[in-house]
Parts: sequence; C-alpha cells; structure tokens
Amino acid sequence: MIELSRDTLVFSFPEVHPTARLTVSFQRTLRLPDNGRDYPLPPGFGGFPLRHVDDFAGNLPAEWPKHGGVLLPMRQAEAMWLSFRPDYLGDHATAYPFAIKIAAGKINAVSGGPWARPLARDPQDYVVAPRQPWLDGFNVQQGTVRQFVAMPLGEGYSAEEQLTGAAEHGGLQFLVAPMRAEAFARRFPKIVRRREVGTAMGIMDCVPSCPAPAAPAAMGLAPGGRMRQEIYDDPHRPDEWDEAQASRCFVHLLNSAHWRAATGDEPPPSPVTAQAYAQAGLPWFEYYDEKARPVGGSGILAGLKSLAAMATSKRKPLPNNASVAPGAIQVIHAPPRRDNVVRESGDW
Amino acid sequence: MPAPFGPFLRRQRERLRTQRGEDFSVRQVAGRAGLEPSYLSKIERALQPPPGEAAVRALARELELDPDVLLALAGKVSSDLQKVILRRPQLFAQLIRELKNQPDHAVLRVVREVRDGDW
Repeated sequence: MIELSRDTLVFSFPEVHPTARLTVSFQRTLRLPDNGRDYPLPPGFGGFPLRHVDDFAGNLPAEWPKHGGVLLPMRQAEAMWLSFRPDYLGDHATAYPFAIKIAAGKINAVSGGPWARPLARDPQDYVVAPRQPWLDGFNVQQGTVRQFVAMPLGEGYSAEEQLTGAAEHGGLQFLVAPMRAEAFARRFPKIVRRREVGTAMGIMDCVPSCPAPAAPAAMGLAPGGRMRQEIYDDPHRPDEWDEAQASRCFVHLLNSAHWRAATGDEPPPSPVTAQAYAQAGLPWFEYYDEKARPVGGSGILAGLKSLAAMATSKRKPLPNNASVAPGAIQVIHAPPRRDNVVRESGDW
Repeated sequence: MPAPFGPFLRRQRERLRTQRGEDFSVRQVAGRAGLEPSYLSKIERALQPPPGEAAVRALARELELDPDVLLALAGKVSSDLQKVILRRPQLFAQLIRELKNQPDHAVLRVVREVRDGDW
C-alpha cells in the first residue's frame, strides 16, 4: 500500500514483511546550467508538497482523477531530484531492498523504453534501494544523467513528447517491488547480537472549484543539464524480487501557477539559481559506491534534445543558463544513510 | 512519575552506540541534532525537560525513531497535527474519541491509501 506522509510517498508491503517500507521524496533543487558541461550533484532545498488527486479532482485536468495518485507543483524550468529511503532494520543490519522503476511521461528514465510493468535486466530498467540513494535525471550515459526539469506539457520539450510525438501522460510514474520475504531472510538473516564497536558500513553496502488560469496546467519532465551520477546495477537475482506484490503510483506535476487555484495553498518559492548558489560558495555533492557497478547509459535517452538545445531551436533561450563553477564539493561515500540527510537538509 | 523521555532517549542512543560505534556518542548525536552535548546529557538524565519540537524531531531523525512517538513521549503533539485539529476542532475531537477504544487494526483501516487508477 502507498500512503502520503509529510509530503513523501511511503510504499509499504505488510504482506511481504512487516517493516518493508520505502519512502520516496521529491526534492526541490536548483537547475543546472545546460551547456554540455558535467556538474556535481546539486543540493536539496526540501520536499515539494504532495496531495491526493482525489481531493482536488474538480480543479485538475480531466484525466488526472482517472490516473489516481498524487500531485505536486513545479514551476516552468524548475528541477527536481528523487530520494529513495528504505527503512533500516537494525535486527538484520540492512535496509529492506526494493526494485524501483521510474518513468517520466511513461518513458523509463533508466532505459529510455516505454512503460512496462515487469522488471527488465538487460538493459536494467530500474534502480535498487538501498544501493541507489537518489535519481536526479535521465540516464543518458554511463555515469551521467540529464537533470529532470519541468516544462509545460504540449510545448515539445519533454522526453515523452520527443520520443512519442504526443503530449499524453506527463508526470512521473513509479513501480516499487519489494524483495521476496524468503530471499530477504536468506540474504539478511536476523542478527542475534552484535558486539563489535565500530561502523556497520561493511554490512550495509551489500546491499472548492476555481477558474483555471490560461497556461497549460500539466507539466512533463525534459532532460536538462548534465551531472555526474551513476545508476547502479542490481546485485540480486531476478527471482528475488516479489513483482506480484509491486505497487505503482502516478505522480502528476501541476504547473505552480495553478497550485493555489487547485489546492488553496501557496506553492513553494522559486529555488535559487545555480549561479547565485555557486557564487555563495555553498556545497555541491559527489557520491561514490566503490562496490557497485554503474549500468550503461540509454542510447534512446542520449539522443534526446536537451532543454537548452530545444529552447534555442524554438528561439526562446533559457534564462539563467550561464556556466557556473561549483566550489565546495562534499564527497559522500556509500552507504548513504546518514549523508542522505545532509544532501536533503537544505536550509540555505 | 518518572520522566520517560530522557531515559528512553539514552537507551536508544546507547543501543545504537553498541551496534554502530562512536557516531552515537552524546557529543556526536548532539552535534548532528544541533544541541550542546551537555544539554543533551542533562535531557537524557531527566535533569532538563524535553526540548522543543524541532529538537525532538532532530533527535528522532538521528536516533532512527518515529518523530510522532518521540514527541508523544515528550508530552507534545506535532505542530502539523495541531494545525489539522485546530482547523476542524469538533470533528477531530469527535474522531479521536470515537477511535480511542478501537483496536489497532480498525484504526489502521482509517489510514488513507493513495489510490491507483488507469494509466
């Protein structure tokens, strides 16, 4: 089952394991310059507000209530990253493992293929928690993603529109499959007692109706600036995932200009620009997991026109796209549990 | 009545320290939660009352505890819940009184799931 809890999506699987819980959050961040340069990971400025589609059905695009799920507000050309945090089970010295499929406009963000329910291995079309703490964009090359950036659906920027020629779905789609209970018990047996003092690092890495404004309300994700981020391979066997128990969710992206009219709340403020952030000398991040192998990039996604290239071809140049020089880079090594909090607690 | 908050905090911190080491010393936990170590130490020994909501939340995060449970132990109700209740006080007061004697499984059924549709 999936619940909304403090602006996060909590996937739980009580039929599989009492503590199989994965929290997915949607982080506000700065938009990287889209100029061919590779940047480190940008910070998180806190989560986007999340709401049930059913609560505002009358104020939303007609097809959204059919999709079910949730909605969140994004500004035009605003960026986002996704955080995946499985509950840590002290008795097993691991976080419960999950396979997570992510699509934007029903285009798989890892493989570039169309949405399909089964998990695919070759090429891998999902990420694995706890190994993968974050996903910031489309997998365009081994070790490189293009940032998730929201643009109004129907203007041709989104990965979906570029690949299918249609502005049909927009938003984000998730499928989460827990590890099978037997596989979990075998791989991560209960630890009776642990006496050693020191870090557990070595163990954790195994693994009411308002008139709608005129601007288009639905947003889709387009590939923005490049950043260094590896998408790690799945260290488990395919039959260890309990796909029959998988849960899925449609996360709609509503143009922030419509948020107040639809929900009655103010949308979050506009994030700072990459330029202002870099000038202030605030931290950027790099993440390394020496034990995990990165999967290859998707040729399909690599072929997409980036946001800036598309904007130039439409003669609507992207604002705030000047190159920046990231100053302080905080290197985070796997496992990311505590550091997760560091990248997300953006009080700057 | 003995104050349960501080000793509970200390037991949890010590448990994590045994399992995972000095990241869970008073000094380290206090540092990450933005508190003075001496203040945290006094809270743990119940020489000081529980801190404010933000600090309780920070401690819950650092010690891998449920923030609502820790807030309850501190005798507080989370500010987001207070807002929810204050917006519709009669309705929520009635709801809570209705639910207070229900078994957990009946209460859990009230938890709202995100609905999946056709797409």
